Amino acid sequence: MVQYNFKKITVVPTGKDFVDIILSRTQRQTPTVVHKGYAISRIRQFYMRKVKYTQQNFHEKLSTIIDEFPRLDDIHPFYGDLLHVLYNKDHYKLALGQINTARNLIGKVSKDYVKLLKYGDSLYRCKSLKVAALGRMCTVIKRIGPSLAYLEQIRQHMARLPSIDPNTRTILICGYPNVGKSSFINKITRADVDVQPYAFTTKSLFVGHTDYKYLRYQVIDTPGILDRPFEDRNIIEMCSITALAHLRAAVLFFLDLSGSCGYSIAQQAALFHSIKSLFMNKPLVIVCNKTDLQPLETLPEEDMKLVMEMKSEAMKTVVGEGGEPTDDAGVLLTMSTLTEEGVIAVKNAACERLLNQRVELKMKSKKINDCLNRFHVAIPKPRDQKERPVCIPQAVLEAKAKKAEEAAEKEKRKLERDLENENGGAGVYSASLKKHYILANDEWKEDIMPEILDGHNVYDFIDPDILQRLEELEREEGLRQEQEADDDFEMDDTELTPEQQELLAQIRKKKSLLIQQHRMKKATGGRRPTVPRLFDKDRQFTSGRMGRELSRVGIDPSLAINRARDKSRGRKRERSSERGDDNAMDVDGGQLRKKLRRSIDTSRSSRSRSRSRNPNEVVPGEGLKDSAQKAKARKLDKKSSNKRNKDAKRGEADRTIPNLKPKHLFSGKRSTGKTQRR
Amino acid sequence: MATRLQFENSCEVGVFSKLTNAYCLVAIGGSENFYSTFEGELADIIPVVKTSIGGTRIIGRLCAGNKNGLLLPHTTTDQELQHLRNSLPDSVIVQRVEERLSALGNCIACNDHVALTHTDLDRETEEMIADVLGVEVFRQTIAGNILVGSYCAFSNRGGLVHPHTSIEDLDELSTLLQVPLVAGTVNRGSDVIAAGLTVNDWTAFCGSDTTATELSVIESVFKLREAQPSAIVDEMRKSLIDTYV
Repeated sequence: MVQYNFKKITVVPTGKDFVDIILSRTQRQTPTVVHKGYAISRIRQFYMRKVKYTQQNFHEKLSTIIDEFPRLDDIHPFYGDLLHVLYNKDHYKLALGQINTARNLIGKVSKDYVKLLKYGDSLYRCKSLKVAALGRMCTVIKRIGPSLAYLEQIRQHMARLPSIDPNTRTILICGYPNVGKSSFINKITRADVDVQPYAFTTKSLFVGHTDYKYLRYQVIDTPGILDRPFEDRNIIEMCSITALAHLRAAVLFFLDLSGSCGYSIAQQAALFHSIKSLFMNKPLVIVCNKTDLQPLETLPEEDMKLVMEMKSEAMKTVVGEGGEPTDDAGVLLTMSTLTEEGVIAVKNAACERLLNQRVELKMKSKKINDCLNRFHVAIPKPRDQKERPVCIPQAVLEAKAKKAEEAAEKEKRKLERDLENENGGAGVYSASLKKHYILANDEWKEDIMPEILDGHNVYDFIDPDILQRLEELEREEGLRQEQEADDDFEMDDTELTPEQQELLAQIRKKKSLLIQQHRMKKATGGRRPTVPRLFDKDRQFTSGRMGRELSRVGIDPSLAINRARDKSRGRKRERSSERGDDNAMDVDGGQLRKKLRRSIDTSRSSRSRSRSRNPNEVVPGEGLKDSAQKAKARKLDKKSSNKRNKDAKRGEADRTIPNLKPKHLFSGKRSTGKTQRR
Repeated sequence: MATRLQFENSCEVGVFSKLTNAYCLVAIGGSENFYSTFEGELADIIPVVKTSIGGTRIIGRLCAGNKNGLLLPHTTTDQELQHLRNSLPDSVIVQRVEERLSALGNCIACNDHVALTHTDLDRETEEMIADVLGVEVFRQTIAGNILVGSYCAFSNRGGLVHPHTSIEDLDELSTLLQVPLVAGTVNRGSDVIAAGLTVNDWTAFCGSDTTATELSVIESVFKLREAQPSAIVDEMRKSLIDTYV
């Protein structure tokens, strides 16, 4: 849907401002320094750029004006005609046409002068050409000054037009001047239209909005219309006519029964008949206003006849909508904006009839098929016998019943919001989350919940039924204790047969043996033997044994044992945990460890990381005899690439002497002697 | 009675709150405005609990629940779980679910008797839904969308589903759920119903962009006032046609 928003058109500067803006931009955004000594191509390019840049800016600015102003033929006919009525289509188009011509002229000037600049042979000439070019462009703009001023005025006026959406639900109020149209719109919407007791108080269209049946309606108040030939109508009246002609709206034709507006009912009826062609295909309601001064019932005979004539005319619109021809509700209504009697009835009738007409139309359109599912309420078919009751707490029902009785008396609960406002507002107040905990004891609410205890996440160990289980365990334990008390006896050998006794003895012996072996294994477990297995097949060369032997011959064994232990190979270093946390250890022991590792590295056949080789080391397969030869070869290689590398590095800024011995200095005869001998 | 509100300038109130018949969860916001709207409406009747889930505020999309229980995603922290257990009455079972699709609110739509779920949900999760929430579980899609929790909202009295649900689908879903259903929108034409609306059996909260027509559809289908779902086809029909077509 096209939105009609004329408020966003950019400001149109006056001719003088226009020139200033563009020239100062050229000055600011193109290079400003040029010298006579520059190459002529550079000078030409400098000025061409200025000319082109100026032209581009002009083009841009003028294009925005042309694009942003609406084209009267493209917009909704209502706006097209309204703008025509207000600003005169011809004048408007002429102004925009002039802008367009100016844009083309400037383009041509720029093209010509750029061409001329190509032949400029000095700075001075180039500059003169540039000045001439800019001057001509400015002259063009100066000439369209009046058009620019006119467009600016129009822009300002358009920005103040009411934003009427021609496609939405619209109620249009029309009638003679001073019959109470503006009073009515003030009553049903929040528009604040000026109401005065003289004709043509309302000089343009005014918009208000009102709600009916969940929908929003746009109500348009039009200036009064006089009954006179179309050509004689002034701009103010033409606004009304345009709205009537182009908006698909419900029309309220206002009649002043009392004649206090200065026009008789006959005159008003004449107007009605002269513009009734504009009411075609629109829901029309004839509203008899000012019933406080003159009720409809006491109207004189001939006036009544006129009113009824109009009514029968309006009935035709009902037939057009597809309604019953006898259904005359909402065609002729009476009201008084002064006493507000019947105002809402008029509004409702108009809205209802408009809605009916729109729905009628839309039901015929194709789009309705896409939306059919939205007007369908799926009612469930019972699929089993299960009851699925709703769950509404009693408190809600009570509150609902109470609300009906004493809505006003309900005491206000103190909300968090109130607390927040009392305690410094949002961002300052922080509410406790624990306030509304439902616990067995209210004192527990603010207790601190332990989260981590002894490095364990407490929640992992939480058991919701811990108390219950504890009770169960205790009960079980009690039972067991009782049982134990019952059969508390010792196993005794005496009760066994001799065979069984023997068996028991065997079992016990085997058990003790196993334990012994296990202990021995555990004592040496994981340790390397002190004497290599090779020499100690039976594992008898232990330091313990040595000690025993030595002491048997009468020598104190402690020194010898200590020495043997010193010499014995220690346990092989295992994959230690220390390797895992390298980073932590590096802080203090890094240097030492590095040294250590290197010494270990050398002892290993496989290297764990790459290491650089001595460049002169001979690698098999290179074809070099020894390292001396290799050194020589490397030296030669370096020397050969030296010059090439230097050339590659040479830049523009390096000093060069293209010719060390220019021939002219060294050839030819001189007046005194030869070149070489002077 | 439906209320229009905003959460910190966002109209997706269903994202930041979870309303059931037994409790209401509300996200922790910068100010107390959002919370107090719920509090004023509900606090006399059911607990209104401020909480985060997995440290986020999009609690409505992460958890699923009804008056019997509350299912939380595996991202929920122990502290949040404890906080919820402390705040909710003992009749509500709070349970964390080890489900790969952790936005449970998007994958599960339920009232107190029936649940619709995402088609790819684990079998264990399905069992848990049936046990904890005490509902019949149906794997379903809504108008071709597998995120059933996002595209529909229903209570024990009625339901609103994605606007593109066909009439046949509507009837089928309504028979499954045993509540009247209507296809519609919230928040001025948004089709993510559950994001813009959170509802229980006696009240509803929707985003402040919701138009008058949308609101009246919501009130009639959820029977929030005296209105009945049939009002949509009777009195409101013309207004609906004029707005939609």
